[in-house]
Amino acid sequence: MPTRFPLFRGADIGTIITDQCALTARSEEDFRVDLLVAEGDRVAQGTPVLRSRRDPDIVLVAPVSGEVAAIDLGPGRRLSHVLFFHAPDAGRHAYDVTAANRGDDPAATRALLLSAGLWPLLRSRPFGRIPAPAETPSAIFVMALDTRPDAPPPRLALDGREEDLARGLRALAGLASGPVVLCQDRGADIVDAGGTGARCRIRKVAPVHPHGLAGFQLAALHPAAAGRPVWDVHAEDVAGIGAFLETGLVPETKLVSVAGPALREHRLVRCQPGADLRALTFDIVRPGPHRLLSGSAQDGVEARWLGRWHRQATAVAAAPDAARRHWFSVALRRARRPLPIIPTAALDHAFGGLLPAAALVRALAANDAETATRLGALSLLEEDLALADHVTGAAPRLSAMLRAMLDRIEAEEAA
Amino acid sequence: MTRGLWDRETVALLLLAAVLPLAVTWLFYAGAAGMTRLVFVLAVAGFWHLVFMLARAQPPSVAGALAALAIAVLAPLDLGPIPLLLGVSFGVVAGELVFGGWGRNVVHPAAVTLAFLGFGFPAAPWPDLPVQLGWSAAAVALLGVALGVMPWRVVACGAAVLFAGRSVLPLETPVLTAAAVALVLLVGDPVTSAATRLGRWLNGLLYGALVLLFALGWQGAAPVQIAVSAAMLATLAAPLLDELAISLWLARRKRLG
Repeated sequence: MPTRFPLFRGADIGTIITDQCALTARSEEDFRVDLLVAEGDRVAQGTPVLRSRRDPDIVLVAPVSGEVAAIDLGPGRRLSHVLFFHAPDAGRHAYDVTAANRGDDPAATRALLLSAGLWPLLRSRPFGRIPAPAETPSAIFVMALDTRPDAPPPRLALDGREEDLARGLRALAGLASGPVVLCQDRGADIVDAGGTGARCRIRKVAPVHPHGLAGFQLAALHPAAAGRPVWDVHAEDVAGIGAFLETGLVPETKLVSVAGPALREHRLVRCQPGADLRALTFDIVRPGPHRLLSGSAQDGVEARWLGRWHRQATAVAAAPDAARRHWFSVALRRARRPLPIIPTAALDHAFGGLLPAAALVRALAANDAETATRLGALSLLEEDLALADHVTGAAPRLSAMLRAMLDRIEAEEAA
Repeated sequence: MTRGLWDRETVALLLLAAVLPLAVTWLFYAGAAGMTRLVFVLAVAGFWHLVFMLARAQPPSVAGALAALAIAVLAPLDLGPIPLLLGVSFGVVAGELVFGGWGRNVVHPAAVTLAFLGFGFPAAPWPDLPVQLGWSAAAVALLGVALGVMPWRVVACGAAVLFAGRSVLPLETPVLTAAAVALVLLVGDPVTSAATRLGRWLNGLLYGALVLLFALGWQGAAPVQIAVSAAMLATLAAPLLDELAISLWLARRKRLG
């Protein structure tokens, strides 16, 4: 997919630290937390703020230096959001990284990543959660490739950070029992293979959506299964981990693309995690009602704050008021759900030709977890089926059906 | 968050657009009698779609017109209205609507109708298709494949086997014409053909091979009868071929763990 940002160079990308930002969790994540700070506290960037009640080793840290403005916990101490006001003079929290020996001691690295709040950058499949602190993945996929529409080009994010990336890759290799696969486009190697350790290999992928999604890469190469987790992480975050292991400072920003049909122009910015989407878009938005999505136009979720694993802010026109349909046609449409999906070339392309698309879609629609598991559904997450949803107009959405199925499988596995 | 357009009715409309060359060519040759037959079949199929909409809340589909065209083109002649009514009703209801409509059916309603009429009224003569209909089928295949609504592997493999067979076997042109028309109207249906990559190759291969087998070994069979029987059997085998393809795929994935 041709990039929409051909003229950008690393130097042209502005850094925007929005005045407000937030640590968030969606209610369905069921992320229960203990607070380590109180409302009104001043915190340095990188200071631990929340601790998971389920896995007390997992902490979340302050994304900016500033003041804890508001804390909103749902019932059962479930995190809804913790809001921060930016105050540049509060400084950055430095961690002592000597124990991890710059990433060469796996146990110490693991403890350090957990305590410094870098652990939640990783994502574990099946089920797409923050990995458990003791989990050892059978492989780690590092995505230096993002083919989602209007995604920020990872090469820009990694420009000049090859050493950090190599150090991060070495550190990750210590956490896994299997290979670390760096997925990149067909261009020159992003990182020198000599410096990344023996377990790291580079996989070159055609830059065609959906091949740049971690789900299809690991489904093709190293399928995830219950008891055989596979992690995926963005290459920029790996470079951030590498830099952290050198300096002890939690990375401040990530490269985010701000795009969408409701904006006058598209731009790339470096902003803090959990940035305020309104602040990123308010000066370039077209007149008229619009919605802000965290994520791409396909897989984004309507949100106020940038999501944990998202690198895109998308503004789309507000959904028009549903045309008034006759009650009879509404009843007909609802009676038929899930709508049948015809196996066309579009559906095959939406699965990248890597998985048996029609059989998998049928298993999802029939809620047949056994068949779907056999066909590789455990390697996938909602974002991987967003393209199939987009082209087929499936109702209910395939990604929602997959999420429900994954949740059920997870509950059964836990029981 | 945005929505695409490849839903069931879009695909059905594109398929209908793709078969227009064949429909026009056939109407040109069949004339008023063909037109009457098409309207009759459309009316009967439409009636059953209406019944299932009112009784079972199944929205009617444009794909019903596709099946009606296939029936009108391929069904035996000189049947009279009652046998045709029975055949179309049986095919549309038992072949498609009881499964939940187009998109959920296992067999092609037109193939079921034609099999029913062929077995039920063996004395009725099968139609002779003009050779131009075979050429228009090539246009249909090109359109369907280019629009992405016809599985190109099925069509390409079926056509390849037929042409390969013609070069080595004494295959007559009427058989080839009928086989080409049945390939695009019955076998190339995206729902009832195989849905995996290998399965589609096998599906086209099986159809072509069956046509060749029947053409050589079935004494006294009409060309359309040969093509329709081969299409019916190939359609019935499609889920098996898919299952085979998926088993092979899973076996290859074993080494991934």
